[in-house]
Amino acid sequence: MNTIIKTFILLLAAVSMSFAQGFKVKATGEQTFNFEDKRNQVKFFSTTPLEDITGISNDVKGKVTLNVADIKSMKGSITISVASIKTAIDLRDEHLRSENWLNADKYPEITFSIKKVGDVKVAADNKLDVKVTGDFTVHGVTKETVADVTLTYLDASEQTKQFAPGDLLGVQAKFNIALSDFEVENMVVGQKVADEIEITATLRGSNAK
Amino acid sequence: MNSKQKYIILLALILIAVVLVWWLASGGEILSKDGIWVEQEISELDKALGLEPQKVYQEKFILGLLPHTAVISGVIVAISAILFFIFKSKKTKEKK
Repeated sequence: MNTIIKTFILLLAAVSMSFAQGFKVKATGEQTFNFEDKRNQVKFFSTTPLEDITGISNDVKGKVTLNVADIKSMKGSITISVASIKTAIDLRDEHLRSENWLNADKYPEITFSIKKVGDVKVAADNKLDVKVTGDFTVHGVTKETVADVTLTYLDASEQTKQFAPGDLLGVQAKFNIALSDFEVENMVVGQKVADEIEITATLRGSNAK
Repeated sequence: MNSKQKYIILLALILIAVVLVWWLASGGEILSKDGIWVEQEISELDKALGLEPQKVYQEKFILGLLPHTAVISGVIVAISAILFFIFKSKKTKEKK
């Protein structure tokens, strides 16, 4: 009986391993990537009949840990500071940071914390398209959000050294949020800012310690 | 309408047209801007990492329709209106 149970467990493990989707690269096992670099960028885009507004932050921090062979194991978070967002109009930046909007003094950071990775599509040995479900926190309010993410793994090489030592992970992510979901009142600048904001993250992380 | 009033209206229209051309040449933005976002050329490494081109901020003043062009045009209209009525009054007095 014990042999049957052990065989069943082993088979189950083998089946689940065969469904694990990940990168086919030189690196193996668990890797942690650090995204703290001024060249990384998070972009906010609003479009209304009156004006398109682009807000950008280059103050990105965060770490992501993943098992190379199983992308669903990915955990971690990415944070930007509200004060670092620039919209090309200094006065508008002040409004954005003010109490009436994102209230940077009280809620200085915007964070995306990974909860679950699903819908994995293998685009190449080192490239995966996934849907990442996470807790998105802005203005002190947290909502579950799903981001379309493309992950690209580059083993350390002469080319990757241009950015940082170690292996590199490229992250191209996109998702939409509604400001009203995060209790951001769209009243100061009226209809110049859309309720729906498109957020794009262009990030490179290194696993160098 | 006397000839001076006609000149005032013509001059005001020309000045407003110049301001509008200036606004269009500045980029035709609705709001005045303190800077612009310039798309960077993507590097080979970023292409390999599957990343999209990024934007960098550059300080540059861009005249907007609001508030600058609208305010300048408003001032031109106000001055023209005052001059228009001054010359109208003078004509009326001269007639009397």
